[in-house]
Amino acid sequence: MSEPATGTIHDLGYKRYGGTRRSTATRWLVIMRNQIASGWKTWWRFKASLGLAVLTTFIAGGVMFILRDKVVRDFAGQFAATMADAALPKSIEWYTRAAFLVSLTIGARVIAGDVQSGAFTFYFARSVRPRDYVLGKLGGMVGLMALIMLAGPLTLALARLGLSETTEQLVASLPLIPKAIAIGLLGTLVFATVPLAFSSLFANVRYAMALWAAYYLVFGLMVSLLGRASGGWIGALDLATALEAVAMHLFDLHLFRGRAGTVPYDAALASLLVHAGVAIAILSYQVRRAYGSGVGGAGLRRQAWCRSITAASGTATCSASPT
Amino acid sequence: MSLIELAKLTKRYGAITALAGLDGTIDGKIIGLLGPNGAGKSTLLKALLGLIPFAGKASVLGLDAGTKGAEIRDRVGYMPEQEQFIVGMSAVELCTYAGELSGLPRTEAMQRAHAALYYAGLEEKRYQPIEGYSTGMKQRVKLAQALVHDPELLFLDEPTNGLDPRSRDEMLELIIDLPGRRNCAIVLSTHLLPDVERICDHAVIMHQGRIRFVGSIDELRGARGRDTEILVEVKADAAKLAEVMTAAGATCQVMSPVSIAVSLPESATNELVFRHARAAGLQIRGLGVRRETVEAAFLRVIGEVPAPAADGAVPP
Repeated sequence: MSEPATGTIHDLGYKRYGGTRRSTATRWLVIMRNQIASGWKTWWRFKASLGLAVLTTFIAGGVMFILRDKVVRDFAGQFAATMADAALPKSIEWYTRAAFLVSLTIGARVIAGDVQSGAFTFYFARSVRPRDYVLGKLGGMVGLMALIMLAGPLTLALARLGLSETTEQLVASLPLIPKAIAIGLLGTLVFATVPLAFSSLFANVRYAMALWAAYYLVFGLMVSLLGRASGGWIGALDLATALEAVAMHLFDLHLFRGRAGTVPYDAALASLLVHAGVAIAILSYQVRRAYGSGVGGAGLRRQAWCRSITAASGTATCSASPT
Repeated sequence: MSLIELAKLTKRYGAITALAGLDGTIDGKIIGLLGPNGAGKSTLLKALLGLIPFAGKASVLGLDAGTKGAEIRDRVGYMPEQEQFIVGMSAVELCTYAGELSGLPRTEAMQRAHAALYYAGLEEKRYQPIEGYSTGMKQRVKLAQALVHDPELLFLDEPTNGLDPRSRDEMLELIIDLPGRRNCAIVLSTHLLPDVERICDHAVIMHQGRIRFVGSIDELRGARGRDTEILVEVKADAAKLAEVMTAAGATCQVMSPVSIAVSLPESATNELVFRHARAAGLQIRGLGVRRETVEAAFLRVIGEVPAPAADGAVPP
């Protein structure tokens, strides 16, 4: 016989909550804020990559300022650009690297981590709908990614405007702002959505991270090389190449195009948008499918398994899977 | 208004009927939801929380589960059996987040998170990451996160699973304390029938997708819980007492050489036993109302006869 309980019940003075509750439509904002806060918590998840983005901004800004009048040409002498104009589009490559790191340390872990730790039950036993969850997680990732992919290029665009010596130069440089915003938003969208979709495909964080890394690095390198060899659109399937190709086109930079030089602009843009669209569709489908599955214990498949276990063993209960 | 009302509630997964037209009204302070694996308890919980579509009607706290699932979940707390934590969060962060997700403003959610965790007995440990908690502490966090948004109804799924006897007692004490202190009703889904016997006042028994019983624990024990069914202990020769009592119109069952179970005639009282024992020269050592255990009643309701004890006597 067990000993009588010796625990004390503490109560700080309970009162029923009589205030208003926030609308169900705002739940995604709570999830978004939590996503940003948890990303910010440890240095290696986000701050290290943000540091790389800040460093990129300083170096590109420094090059822009110190070598602003230096003109660089290609070997044939066909294309030329000042370093002040080339620094921003060339820096996109480095922002992309920082964004990939964040996508690996946060993006690819988010949904898989929630499934692994049972947090889906935590969310969906409350008044959180699948679309609130998807919006919140996406919003959080967009917020984090924007600090890298959008804030950096925008800062450089503003710096480029600051280097204008005449009003005419300033006015002529003004289109850099919307272009920097456009490439920043595109990069943010892609690096927020695609890793999340990979994350939603697995209930194991390591698998999700590995598959996303393999897709981005290995598959990306393969299609990029194929694109270079064939000179066709296939290189646009590599997200980094596609993003660079769009940046080079937007900023009208024909120098230093490298692997992005062989990829048509429209194919690159289409690839980025299709990637984001498919990623959102996968994410929504997976979350919708998981909605409710965690609440109440075992699912039907688990119950069937349990019934077979109890029938085989002749025991009355299956402690592994109560319903 | 009843806590839960069901009318022809049906849920099918392809060819499998998980809930087969459930009807009934469920009320009480602490209600035990019982049933073997595959009985449909999980599906019923999901339907009541508005997480799955179903046919028929179900309402919780007067709200239609088919159309107002989100509103129900704002007013209901759910403590799952399995772990449901967010990696890297402390208990107080998790509970604050839970409160916010249920619509509480951040400041209110934080205050209530501290109060709920303190109530659950976590005290200073509430600031530590949950990954490092023991099973008992995790169970307490799960209870606290279910309480934080001030629910009117709590669904507790196996709340004492994996706990040592002392932690189990403490958890049951907390659960018993809740309806009075927090003015909320509790639906307790568990396999541990002694827990139900100890803390529940009502029970719902499900089997093969149907509700086999809804009512109070006393009603569950049924006819065997009546005061006219008594267990008599004698110094010796219980069989002789059975003989004279049978002659007096009672139904007797010899449980052992020194005890018999007696079903008295409707109008009779215990006095009948004393009178016949004295006449037969037998000494009565003990006499008590024979109560059927919840476990025995459960097995009876789902149609499985309790196994006989080793000495051949039928357990009460």
